[in-house]
Amino acid sequence: MLEFNTQPFNGYGVKYSPYFDSRIAVAASANFGLVGNGRLYILGLTPNGIVAEKWFDTQDGLFDLTWSEAHENQILTASGDGSVKLFDISLPEFPIASWSEHAREVFSVHWNLVSKETFLSSSWDGCIKIWNPTAESSIATLPTHSCTYSAQFSPFSPSVLSAVSSDSHLRLFDLRTPASASNHLVLALPIHAPPKAGPGIAPAQGVPPSEALTHDWNKYRDGVIATAGVDRAIRVFDIRAPGQGPRAVMQGHDYAVRRISWSPHLPDLLLSASYDMTCRIWTDGSNEEALAGGEPLSFGGGKEMGRMGNHTEFVTGVDWCLFGAEGWCASTGWDSRLMVWDVRAFMGS
Amino acid sequence: MAASAKQRLSQVTSHLQSSEADIRRGRDVILTKSPDDIVVTCALRTAITKGGKGGFKDTAAANLLHGAFTSLISRSGIDPSLVEDIAVGSVLPPGGGATEFRAAALAAGFPETAAVKSLNRQCSSGLQACVDVANAIKTGMIDIGIGAGVESMSSQYGPQAVTEFSELLESHPESANCKVPMGLLSEDMARDRQISRASQDAFAASSFAKAAAAQKQGLFDEEIAPLTVTWQDPKTDEEKKITVARDDGVREGMTAESLGKIRPAFAKDGSIHAGNASQISDGAAAVLMMRRSTAERLGQQILGKFVAASVVGVKPLLMGIGPWKAIPVALEKAGVSKEEVDIYEINEAFASQCLWCVNELGLPMEKVNPKGGAIAFGHPLGCTGARQVSTLLTELKRTGKKVGVTSMCVGTGMGMAAVWVAE
Repeated sequence: MLEFNTQPFNGYGVKYSPYFDSRIAVAASANFGLVGNGRLYILGLTPNGIVAEKWFDTQDGLFDLTWSEAHENQILTASGDGSVKLFDISLPEFPIASWSEHAREVFSVHWNLVSKETFLSSSWDGCIKIWNPTAESSIATLPTHSCTYSAQFSPFSPSVLSAVSSDSHLRLFDLRTPASASNHLVLALPIHAPPKAGPGIAPAQGVPPSEALTHDWNKYRDGVIATAGVDRAIRVFDIRAPGQGPRAVMQGHDYAVRRISWSPHLPDLLLSASYDMTCRIWTDGSNEEALAGGEPLSFGGGKEMGRMGNHTEFVTGVDWCLFGAEGWCASTGWDSRLMVWDVRAFMGS
Repeated sequence: MAASAKQRLSQVTSHLQSSEADIRRGRDVILTKSPDDIVVTCALRTAITKGGKGGFKDTAAANLLHGAFTSLISRSGIDPSLVEDIAVGSVLPPGGGATEFRAAALAAGFPETAAVKSLNRQCSSGLQACVDVANAIKTGMIDIGIGAGVESMSSQYGPQAVTEFSELLESHPESANCKVPMGLLSEDMARDRQISRASQDAFAASSFAKAAAAQKQGLFDEEIAPLTVTWQDPKTDEEKKITVARDDGVREGMTAESLGKIRPAFAKDGSIHAGNASQISDGAAAVLMMRRSTAERLGQQILGKFVAASVVGVKPLLMGIGPWKAIPVALEKAGVSKEEVDIYEINEAFASQCLWCVNELGLPMEKVNPKGGAIAFGHPLGCTGARQVSTLLTELKRTGKKVGVTSMCVGTGMGMAAVWVAE
């Protein structure tokens, strides 16, 4: 395991470069993101450990980041002052662009993986905004009317995006639909709704709504999205059958789950980061082995494969390395530590 | 800026709401004292005497209760006008005893401002009364209350205590089972669960032995409030004033062998008899409860605290297994394991069912009823649940132990249990 210290800044997000296997960016904030500056670290994995190749200081805390899919040197940040900033790591000190339309803290930014010409941001102000890096103002605003912690473009379609928010809903927008009154909203799925009873599946008890803090699209199975949040459960939905409720519910974290990420290599594997100071590795039970063993992909089908407990404070960010062997990942948290580790070393632990 | 920092902080706080990880569990947690604990500042009982022939055979239930109340007031030194509610568990009196219990409270010196209710959850009525009062204090409905229990089986035991079943109840199998006499169903259960006559007799003999030893050492003296009553001598028909301060059902020298000679009571080839079942008795008990902060303000001596209670249902014909089901639930609610409990007071309705529950739960026999139980000194139905509290708390204190459980099976198929801590 490799480590980098981000003191006095506390980690909020981490992303591997999609271009270089040795480059990692960390979004961090002073004073646990409550008040004070932010810093964007560009880190290099070298034979001598992790080194800071560059960093950018910002006025307010940084809560999320995403690498540009169009330019290897560009990276986008979500800031507490409501701004979205684009940095070029080949240029010194200042961002090359900044957009200030959100009225409150921006909690997530995400680059469109398919068209590569748009990115999005989501905010405490109850809006998702779609942007083009070359335009001065946003090209669409999608209201959720609820603090939106996490929004993402679909990895399969350039016009489909999703969001989870504090009203316990997973929303799906399709920009091809007419804007009209629904503002491109095509689905609002209550995350807390129990799975449908079926043959062999007893009707589950409902749970109260709770804030959803994170979600991620499965990279292999179109329409499969995992969500997680304050109620500590990770749920897997298939948006093609939204009425069915969650296909898997994975319980185990002792506190809210702050970030989840599907493996870029294995379709059933998921990594989570939680306020309980652990990162955990899960299978949603959809792998062939589990299915052959008679474990159906249904309510409760998923299970924990292992956990990494080296963080000593809330873990806020986690991301997989796209390259090389299929287990490397990075995590960051309020203990000001960026850790680079191999999930395979923690499987079964 | 400051406002936004505060909002961000409260947002993080909201992410951390109510996790089971925050609920501390274990013995140390329930031993911690906090101002809103529900504490017991006085727990006492009358002696328990044999139905039909003991010291209280001519004493009405209300008079027994009156005796327990007056002793409670004088022993605790509580100002009776501070008591807001009194719950009295009782099983046999017509009308539940509501009228005469209220009257007994007034006669004992409680002003009209002290409310009284009677309640009936069969053999757990006394515990239910304590739990009701604890819950009422916990929710803030009252500040100070008394949980009590009383039964005069001498005067009120008999077939009139159950109303004739309607055809509707008779036609439903499980509901009809509710009126199967307890002796019969316990006999069946003993046979089904293979609880041998010998093991029942051994259990009963040890109950007698423990109670006799405890009585000899004066271990019941602290909890028993002596009561002076009128008693008619059956030989001379002469009415006398006597003071009753001892359980008169306790017999010395009972052995498994001597019990082995008694004829079964419910079936020719049965295993249950008068010597390994609870005695028919008279008695009353009362428990004074309030919040710790109230007790400290009033200078009341704190004997212990109420931690948690459970009530469960079982099959009517298997009512004897009630404690087996209720105890783990109460322990789970209290957040302690069965090993962390020092003393279990489990009512000995029948040696068979008590023994089965103890074995099934895997409790070490030396932790169960260390001063004997209902087989040795009697089971005045509604009284027992409140009686167990004084028996438990005095024994925990004497032995320097801390955590105790009281529990009993309940006719028609239920069980109750409560967790207490002595201080």
